[in-house]
Amino acid sequence: DGEFSAKRASTALPRCLLLPLADNKQKTDRVLVRVQDLIPEKADQLIWLRARVHTSRAKGKQCFLVLRQQQFNLQALVAVGDRASKQMVKFAANITKESIVDVEAFVRTVEQKIESCSQQDVELHIERIFVISQAEPRLPLQLEDAVRPDGDGEEEGRATVNQDTKLDNRVIDLRTTTSQAIFRLQSGVCQLFRDTLTEKGFVEIQTPKIISAASEGGANVFTVSYFKTSAYLAQSPQLYKQMCICGDFEKVFCVGPVFRAEDSNTHRHLTEFVGLDIEMAFSYHYHEVIDSITDTMVRIFKGLRDNFQTEIQTVNKQFPSEPFKFLEPTLRLEYTEAVAMLHEAGVEMGDEEDLSTPNEKLLGRLVKEKYDTDFYVLDKYPLAVRPFYTMPDPNNPKYSNSYDMFMRGEEILSGAQRVHDAQLLTDRANHHQIDLEKIKAYIDSFRYGAPPHGGGGIGLERVCMLYLGLHNIRQTSMFPRDPKRLTP
Amino acid sequence: MQQTLTLYLQLPLFRRLKRNALFIMFIVHLLLYLLTLPVIMSLSDDDDISYHRSPLLLNTQGGLNTQNGEVEPAVKALEARQDEIMRKLYELKAAVEGLAKTVTTPDADLDLTVSSSSSLSSQSPTSTTFRGTTDLDALLGKDLGALRDIVINANPAQPPLTLLVLHSVLCQRYRVLSTVHVHSSASSVPPQLLSCLGPRHPDSYARQMFQLGFTLIWKDVPKLQMKFSVQNMCPVEGEANVARFLFKLLSPYPSDPAVATLVDSWVDTAFFQLAEGSSKERATVLRALNAALGRNPWLAGPEFSLADIACYCCVLQSASASSAPTNVQRWIKACENLGHFGPAKLYLK
Repeated sequence: DGEFSAKRASTALPRCLLLPLADNKQKTDRVLVRVQDLIPEKADQLIWLRARVHTSRAKGKQCFLVLRQQQFNLQALVAVGDRASKQMVKFAANITKESIVDVEAFVRTVEQKIESCSQQDVELHIERIFVISQAEPRLPLQLEDAVRPDGDGEEEGRATVNQDTKLDNRVIDLRTTTSQAIFRLQSGVCQLFRDTLTEKGFVEIQTPKIISAASEGGANVFTVSYFKTSAYLAQSPQLYKQMCICGDFEKVFCVGPVFRAEDSNTHRHLTEFVGLDIEMAFSYHYHEVIDSITDTMVRIFKGLRDNFQTEIQTVNKQFPSEPFKFLEPTLRLEYTEAVAMLHEAGVEMGDEEDLSTPNEKLLGRLVKEKYDTDFYVLDKYPLAVRPFYTMPDPNNPKYSNSYDMFMRGEEILSGAQRVHDAQLLTDRANHHQIDLEKIKAYIDSFRYGAPPHGGGGIGLERVCMLYLGLHNIRQTSMFPRDPKRLTP
Repeated sequence: MQQTLTLYLQLPLFRRLKRNALFIMFIVHLLLYLLTLPVIMSLSDDDDISYHRSPLLLNTQGGLNTQNGEVEPAVKALEARQDEIMRKLYELKAAVEGLAKTVTTPDADLDLTVSSSSSLSSQSPTSTTFRGTTDLDALLGKDLGALRDIVINANPAQPPLTLLVLHSVLCQRYRVLSTVHVHSSASSVPPQLLSCLGPRHPDSYARQMFQLGFTLIWKDVPKLQMKFSVQNMCPVEGEANVARFLFKLLSPYPSDPAVATLVDSWVDTAFFQLAEGSSKERATVLRALNAALGRNPWLAGPEFSLADIACYCCVLQSASASSAPTNVQRWIKACENLGHFGPAKLYLK
């Protein structure tokens, strides 16, 4: 299928061609249009377009192609006539799926809507078609299968694609409309997070990821060899955020990877994920921190609701779910209320016991039932279940000034007011039987005047997963890392 | 004088006595007081001074200056006494006006526990202090150590005035933590609806310090809805029913079933015919209100009840207050004098 020249063409130039790789050596004035801009108003225009061949199907003297760009596609037609020969139709039919093509075509309106495409009112009548980059004929997975909702596949004998296969061939899986929508939304979350916090006067910082001591306890850290010694990959930017506060930045946030060597193969754990962390000094009460964080989250939700509806609908086609609901200002319940609600529902648990994952889910359902919100804050956790640097509640020593935030019944943020006094911190560390030598640098940061402060961190992938109502965090992580996966 | 007056105003026992007798007693006191005024004024030996005329009209300056034009100390003392008397007179006037309002407004006590079948018979029948948590336990179920939160989902297009009024009465009786939220389904809520439950309580950071929670969520719901205990209760729908629930936290329904039914029927009339009915239905209701109020000071008889709250709010919402018949107008003024209905008028703007 090399060169071919049309027999009856008025020009000697070939009308369909596999272009060699080195062909991109000249800049031309040719303007390529976007598929999403091809609407009935553009009818009868001659345009150039670069897209992927989604499907190609010959039918007698015609070849139907579906051309795709990201989440948009439209039908294109090569028909035997005075502009195209039979060989050209055959050439078009033999273009492998996923190849990138340049086409010159007329935009024509259609009488019947083309239901299966995003551009339903127009189709292209191809004049010339050139293959820019050819794909191999056997694809490891078919895109239609990858986008098919799980239930459908079994009924009609059509396949759906296993998640592992999708992750192994991420390059192709990312081309599906669902993946495009998910990651555009994730980009939106990150951007809204940055914009909202910058507006509130926060400063973005970057913290080191290679650190000398494990910050949250030694069990779940990755060790790396560091010249003649070894170092660790940071489990959270906690230590450095607090140092920035002690360094008078008052309000900081950072976006960066977080490494947790937890050997849990669950639907919501990754070994590496993107952490969005906040830390701020407050004036009189740590609720100022909670209010700031919840306001940021509500603005993110509103931004997604108002600007990313197309993406949310696209994801819902493959993974149907309820739209995300929230209250403004955010609902804040206290731990004692949560325990009372669980007791009322028949769960037996102690007053100072931590919430297990099934209890968290049940509590989420109860809160949804009563207040109709998918996002809420649980305040005043018992001191016994929180890390040593959490500030105890001054009014009740059994509880602490700490809080968790939940989306759809799953925890997305764990935060607290931090102990900002070196002596109290030492006492608390001793109480938790932590080796003071290992955290000497940490305690030292509070010896030279530290303001009262608090904060928390969320996981970007988890927030996206729960906002969209998905069930596995690997769907929202582009190249996920878990105990069993290191590539791609 | 002042003290006896305030005492008269406060002791509920005396409200039960013949009002005319009280008023006569007060007038007598007032006359006696006024009669003692000339004793104070008699210090001056100028014959022009008389207590028939307002002291302000006295031309003291001209007649009592000394020869060298300075004001005599006696004149200064006299002026000081005049100011003192004027101040006392104004205070008296305010007190009389207040008393007049109380006299013209029929009895409206929500604090008397008259029900004999209530479980509070251990308290004296004339107790007027607010009921403590024991009542809430009886009404709302055992206290599980957490805030008892009443959640109300309302549509911002139809603000529930009755519930706002009941909320302000509840706040006087119990320690209530009030919060207002906007649900993600509601598009735009006017700012006065966001602050309709009053300013944020300074202790709102500690939820367990409150006896009751009142959470108002502005949401795109077809009908007003209340949720309290998700395990034991299904949601309560309709402003009338939620009003009945909230009122029971303040005062029991009348024990006489006929009166209780009357209250209920007025509440239903208010919500179905006054607020939502056609103008013809509203006119009929106003006439019925007029007739009922001709016989009794309040709609359900001698006692103020939920019927009055509901009908007042619905009359206000249907904007028929100005065109109402005389008894209804009098009753509207009486309701306003009680002071609970401030929120209702505010949120109608």
